[in-house]
Parts: sequence; C-alpha cells; structure tokens
Amino acid sequence: MILVVAEQRGGKLNRATWETIAAAQELCRVGSLDPAITIVVPGSNVGAVASEVAAARVQNVVVIDHQALDAYTPDGYAAALEPLIASLSPSHVLLPHTYQTRDFAPALAARLDRALVTDVTGIKAVSGEIAFVRPMFQGKLTADVVAQGPAPQVITFQIGALRADQAARGDAPAPIETFAVEIDRSAIREKPEPPFQEAKQSVDLSQAERIVAVGRGIKGQEHLPVAQRLAAALGAELAASRPICDAGWLPMDRQVGSSGQTVAPKLYLALGISGAIQHLVGMKGSSTIAAINKDPDAPIFDVADYGIVGDLFEIVPALVEALKE
Amino acid sequence: MATSTLALWVLLVVFLGAFLAQVATRVRLIAAGAGSFSFDHPAFRIKRFIVDVLLQRQTIRERPAAGAAHALVFWGFVAFAGYTAVEFAYGLGIVDLTHSAAFQMYRVALVPFATAALAGILFLLGRRVGVRPVGLGATVSMESVVIALFIATLMATFLLGFSLDERTFAGRVNWWTHMLVILAFLALIPASKHFHLVLSPVTVLLKSPELGRVENLDFDREQVGLEAIKDLGKKTVLDAFTCVECGRCQVNCPAWGVGKELNPKALILQTKDALLAGRRDAKLGGIYSEKVLWQCTTCGACENQCPVGIEHVPLVIGARRGLVSNGDAPAYLGGVYNNLERRRNIWGLGYGQRQKFIEAAGLETFDPATHEWLVWLGCAGAFEADYQKSLRALFDILRARGLTFGVLEKEACNGDPAKRTGNEYMFQELANQNIEALRAGRVKKILTSCPHCLKTLGNDYRRFGYDAEVVHSSVLVASLMRDVQPGDAPRTPITAVTFHDPCYLGRYAGHVDEPRELLVRFGADIREPVRNRDNPFCCGAGGGLLFADKEEEPGSRISDVRFKQLQDTGASTVVTACPFCSIMLKGAQASWPPSAGPRSAAAALGSPGAQADTQFVDLMTFVRDRL
Repeated sequence: MILVVAEQRGGKLNRATWETIAAAQELCRVGSLDPAITIVVPGSNVGAVASEVAAARVQNVVVIDHQALDAYTPDGYAAALEPLIASLSPSHVLLPHTYQTRDFAPALAARLDRALVTDVTGIKAVSGEIAFVRPMFQGKLTADVVAQGPAPQVITFQIGALRADQAARGDAPAPIETFAVEIDRSAIREKPEPPFQEAKQSVDLSQAERIVAVGRGIKGQEHLPVAQRLAAALGAELAASRPICDAGWLPMDRQVGSSGQTVAPKLYLALGISGAIQHLVGMKGSSTIAAINKDPDAPIFDVADYGIVGDLFEIVPALVEALKE
Repeated sequence: MATSTLALWVLLVVFLGAFLAQVATRVRLIAAGAGSFSFDHPAFRIKRFIVDVLLQRQTIRERPAAGAAHALVFWGFVAFAGYTAVEFAYGLGIVDLTHSAAFQMYRVALVPFATAALAGILFLLGRRVGVRPVGLGATVSMESVVIALFIATLMATFLLGFSLDERTFAGRVNWWTHMLVILAFLALIPASKHFHLVLSPVTVLLKSPELGRVENLDFDREQVGLEAIKDLGKKTVLDAFTCVECGRCQVNCPAWGVGKELNPKALILQTKDALLAGRRDAKLGGIYSEKVLWQCTTCGACENQCPVGIEHVPLVIGARRGLVSNGDAPAYLGGVYNNLERRRNIWGLGYGQRQKFIEAAGLETFDPATHEWLVWLGCAGAFEADYQKSLRALFDILRARGLTFGVLEKEACNGDPAKRTGNEYMFQELANQNIEALRAGRVKKILTSCPHCLKTLGNDYRRFGYDAEVVHSSVLVASLMRDVQPGDAPRTPITAVTFHDPCYLGRYAGHVDEPRELLVRFGADIREPVRNRDNPFCCGAGGGLLFADKEEEPGSRISDVRFKQLQDTGASTVVTACPFCSIMLKGAQASWPPSAGPRSAAAALGSPGAQADTQFVDLMTFVRDRL
C-alpha cells in the first residue's frame, strides 16, 4: 500500500496534496502495485480537511489529531508519522515537495532509516523497477532514480509536476479513521511563532485570477473609478504600471512589472498601458491578455491575445454595462 | 666637518629614515597584494604618462583653474629637482656646485617656475580654505594646509635667496628654513595624500589601457573574486595609497550625485585604512557596506576622471564577485540570474519572440559566403519593441547602402549583466556558448547597436581568444554616410536635439564624434546637456541596475536626474544610442514629474507636464527618417 501525507495549515488543505494523490494513483499504475492508497491528515481539528480528501479514489483516510500538531513543527510531525508508518508498513510514503515537506521529510526518512527521493517530476518503469525522475543541476539534466533498500521509500513530488484535477475521485467518500498517537510535547524542540506576514505587501496580486491594470492612459487619479468599476464587475484585482504607483495614484503593492509584482492571472486586462518591457516581464505569464490602448503601435498589442485600439474612457464603461447584463 | 654640515647630516638621516620607514610599510603591503602588475600596450601607457602626468591633461581638463594651478606647482617641483640635489650636496659637504656659473644660470631660470608655483599653491590654498569644493570633503584638511604652506615657504625662501647674502645671519636662516621644510615635507609625505607625488607616476603607468578592465576568474585555480582585504590585487593596493582625495570620482559618480551612499573616493580611502590597520581578513562587504557595492552602475566615470590612475570598477566588480560567490547577491538579481540560466536572456522571455522579429524584419541567417556583417541582436533586439524599431531603421540603412548582413540562428545574452554584477560563472558560460556559435558561423565582422554588447563582445570576449571585429552601428553608419547628402526635406523637421552619450559608447569606447557627425549631417542642431561626450551622466541602467528599480526611490533615481538634465537643454528631441538608456529615460519620462509621488525625495526636480513634448528617437531611426 501507498501512504500519502496530506498538508494543511489552520484546517485549510494545501492544494498540492491533490497532486500527490494523483502521483500515488500514477505510481500504482506504472508500478502495477496494489491500488491501496491511504491518505494521512496530521494536525489538530482537521476533520474538514479529511472529508475533503476523502473524495479521492483511495482505500481510506487516516486522521492523526493531536493538540501538539496544532502548529507545524518538524519534531511533532515526525513523531506523529513514524508510528503510523510502522503500523501500516506502506511500500511508499508520498508527500508534496512543499517547504514544510522539505523541512521534515529528511528527518522522517532518517528516523525510519529509509531512502528519500525528493522533487520528483515523474514516475517510470525502468527494466522492471520503478524509477523516479528528478531534475539535477538546476534542471539541466534529469535523473531516473531507483531507490535502494527496504520499504518504505519516501518520495516527494515537485509542485505542478502532476495535475491536481487528474486525481481520480471515488464513487463514494472513502472511510475516515483516526489513529491515536502519543506525542511527548517536551520532545518537540521547535517553538513555532505566528507565521510571518510581510506587512507592506498587503495585496498579493500573484494569487489573483483576474487583474485589471491601468497605465499612463488613465490620465489622472480622478479617473481611477472607471477602472475600479470594471474590476468590480469582473471580480478582478486592480493593478497598475510604474508611473501610476510612482505618482501615488495607487499604492506600490499594486504595481506590476520588473519593479513590482510578477503576476500570472487567467485574465490580464491592460487599460492604457503601452507595454514597456519592464512591465511586460511582470505579466507575460498571464493566460489571456487583453489590451485597450489608443496607440495601435503600442507594444502591449504584441503580447495581447485580444486588443482594442480606442479610447478606454468610451470602451470601459460600455464593457461594464455589458458585464452587468 | 662644520657643525652645520653635521647638523644637516643628522637631520637628513632622521627625516629620510622616517620617510623610508613609512614607505617600506606601504611597499610591503603593495608587494603582499594578490597577482601581479601588467604592462601590456607599453606605447599607449608611455603616451598616456606623457600627456596625463608630464602635461597634466587629466588634472586640468575637468577643473581648468585648479588643474592649471596644480600644473604650475607640479612643473615647479620637477624644475626644482636639480636645485634641491645641488643644495643638499653642498649642505652635506659632498660637493659645492652652488658657485658654478651653470648653477647660477639654472637658479635664474627657476625664478619664473618658483613664482608660478607660489601663485599656484596660494590659489589652491585659497580654494581649499575659502571656496571649499565639495569633492575635497566636509572639513578642511589641516594636513593639506600645512603642506601648502610648506610649498609656499619653499618657493618664498628660494626667491628671497636672491636678495639675501648667504653669509649673513638672515641668509643662513633663509637657507636653513628652505632645507628644513624640504626634510619635514619628506617625512610628512608617505602618510598623507601627498604620497601621490611619489606613487602617481607609477600608478598612471600601471593603469589598464582599457577602462573597466575586469580580468576573467580562473575557476580551475578556484578563484571566486574578492572576499577580504587580503584578496585585493597589487594594483588595487597601490591605488589606495596613491589616492590624492581630489574627489573627481565622487562628484562625477551618478549614484553619489543623486544622493545614494556610494562614494567612490570613500571606497578607496576605506581600503587604505583597512590595509594600514592590518585588517587582512576583514570581509569587503563589511569594509564598504554591501549596499554601496550594489549601487554602482559601472558607468566608469570615477575611473575615467581619476588623475592619478586609480581603477575603481575592477574593485567594485571584484567585490561583487566575492559576494555572489557566497550567495549574497541582492534579491532582484536572483530573478535575472534565473532568467539567464533558464532562458539565456535577461527578461526571461521565450526566444520564439526573437524568431518572430527575424521573420518580420526579413533577416537571413548569417552565411559567411553571402554576408559581410553579422548583426548581433542582443536581449533588447530579441524582445524590446522600441529597440526593434531602431534595428529596422539600421537594416533599412544597410540595405540602402548595399551592405550584406545576417543574424545568428541562436544567440544567448552576451553576459554583460552577469559580468558587471559579479556572476562570473554565468558570464563565462554565456560567453563560451556565444563564441562557439560565432566561430561555427565563421563570423569576422559583428555589428551591434547596443554599447553593452559592443564592450562585451569586442572587449571581454578577447580574453577568451575571440577576436572578430566588433563595431557599433553609429560608427559604421557614420562612415557609410560620409558621401551621402541627406534628402531635401526632412520628414520630421527638427529644430533642436540633444544627444545622450551612453557610458559604454562615449566613455568606454570613445565614440563621441560619430553620433554627432550623423546628427549634424542630418540637420540636427545639437544642444549638449551637462555631462556629455566622454563624461556623460549615466542613465542608471548599467551594472545590473536596470533591474534594481525597486531599490530606488522615485525622485532620486539616476534616470530621473538624467532626464531632467536632458530636458534642461531645451531640446524637445532626445536622441539615444543604447537600448538600456532608452528604457530608463522613457521610464523617467512616463513617471514624470517625480515630485508627484508620495515617496519623492526631490520635489525640486521639475514642474508637471514639462515632459510631455519630449520625444525619444534612436540614432538609427533619426538617420533613416532623413535619408
């Protein structure tokens, strides 16, 4: 059987867990293993997370609920997982290659005295054995790693290497069980503090699905509501190019480009932005780029999927009206 | 032996001993420096020695009055060498030539020199104490005042000697004053900035013939750059003791000019202090502050204006290498290095865009059988829309003149941002990759419109044994246009233009006349900005700072200050000849006025709306539109 370690923080599932579930299903397929997968959810008050992952096509979900796991600590997690692994004897323990995993997985593998393969991007069958593909030398080479030694092998998967939406869902929710552990609090050496929040960057544009960005073409701070109404109608975040933030019309944390944030929303709507390269490098990863600009030669049109040459003060209100309908 | 002879012997031994002991300390520190001195291109070095040391060009050209006064003092000192030797030989009872006819003629001939030197030193003293130029430091150096008074005394006592009989008491006092001041001067020299009297001729001779020469690191010998004081090369140590603290580097530094912490003079003096304090193991990041090291645009103004042969750029880049090797590069460079590593260009964009441009511009892949020139597109040519327009103008000109040219199928960034920010490993990787492609293509002549590519391909690549001819578009096009008369009516009438010399074109490559020749030929009335030709004020992009926008406060950006300087010419058209200058200055224009921002540090910079009329035109577009 394969054990998948789910990651959550404050009762909220890390989406990368679904990628790891997909990896477990892929591992069963490639290695022709017994498709018995168990997901373990360590933490405190993680019932909701367990119900969420129980939707996956797996054998069962095991909850390790303990007060000592309320805040993440590497000692606490290793102490919680070690007895479960000993009792289940899985062939593989799979984790998403998150910062948290990077922190405790080596300690866990060392405690178990078992092989650890990190940052895996794929699974292959190589002459009858299972090989894990991982990048080396900053991605210049990839290695097919066949782990040696007794089970279980601890494998961590690079974020994005597998797709969360390809994790097969079960016909009915998988049964949820609990696993009781004794955790000696005094053996936890780390004293966690509240997670660091960067105070200045109150807006995280990198997480936005839609962005409406304004440039010099907005002409004045008094015209910003034009763009704000469009952003509200689209459910989008408002962003800007450097001159707008330099002028103080919008706060610096809404600036996109080489001197601001790098964003990759599903929709990036550029209003009156000419598209200087310093701006383009900050939003080039957007899935769909639409631009409204008076100047047909503006470089923004070179990267835009859709473009309107015209006056944003005519087009945007009409767009807002159309969206309302 | 007369008492006075014995007294002079004793004094000479004491003061010369004090001089030599201090010199020995410094010579030992120089000898302990890493590596060795180089003396390539001896003819160039000797010519520069004659012009800059003997004729004092470098001292005079930036500060004509103070420089000329200095030249008078310098020539006075040189002229007095023989006089001093003869007087000491006489005073020490070795030989008395003072009564020879030749010496008397020499003495008379020295009168104008002494008068000039006296006038010169009094002028300099008045300037230091009265005018107090900013480059000389916040407080008046008492040591310099003493030295100036010494020099004045030497000249005055010499001139007084003509009216005093040497056998009288007054005559003896005058002679002894002269000799004692020389001895005291000798003992003061090594520990003061006046050590430049002794060292600067040597330092100028040993200064690299090439501005901003930064040797490759040899990874086989595990070189990682400059980490601590003990890693500094011999020339850098010599530089530290040569510094005359004139502050030319400081007042010409764009970073210092906009109020940043970096002061090139302070770097040199901090090096000197650390060396004398024996702090061999002190980390350079601690000596200079890391922040300061990342504020340098590598524009080269400090090094180029230094009158005593100091090389600042290799020190800054060397120290950056030491930091990068230890993973201490600023965060914004992490992204750039990733882009270079993964995408082989500074923007991190896909090279499909370059291919699109090549197809749209109708460019052929370089073939030595059919093409004379390889046009190097560079990162900007591959991705930056405005620069691509200027490249198209260049292609139009080349085609109109019947020149054949092609491009490489694949280019990587030439490595300039990596080299200048101290990521030597990345630089060499990129350079080797490009050189391989250029050699495989049997390229002999490279044309580029980017001054950074010019310096890197044409200069830095030579250290890998690659020696193709590399030419900037302004130089080639100027030569192509010498027999061309511009079209009758310029398509866009130009009243006045100003030209922003790129540092890597005007200062590094010395191409200051070719762009102006083109501008004048095609009907421009050039309004020179402050800081022009081979001493331009940087746009702020060099040395990896193109990506450091986040580090700068609007209003104190170098680009804002330069944009204002260009505006102050009154010309509504700014002609540029470098893609990075263009990006920076257009950025400054888009954000104008900087005073509008809440974070502005320079509300005095200008009035809103003044920028609206300013047009930026690349030199190639300017020429093409008027053909």
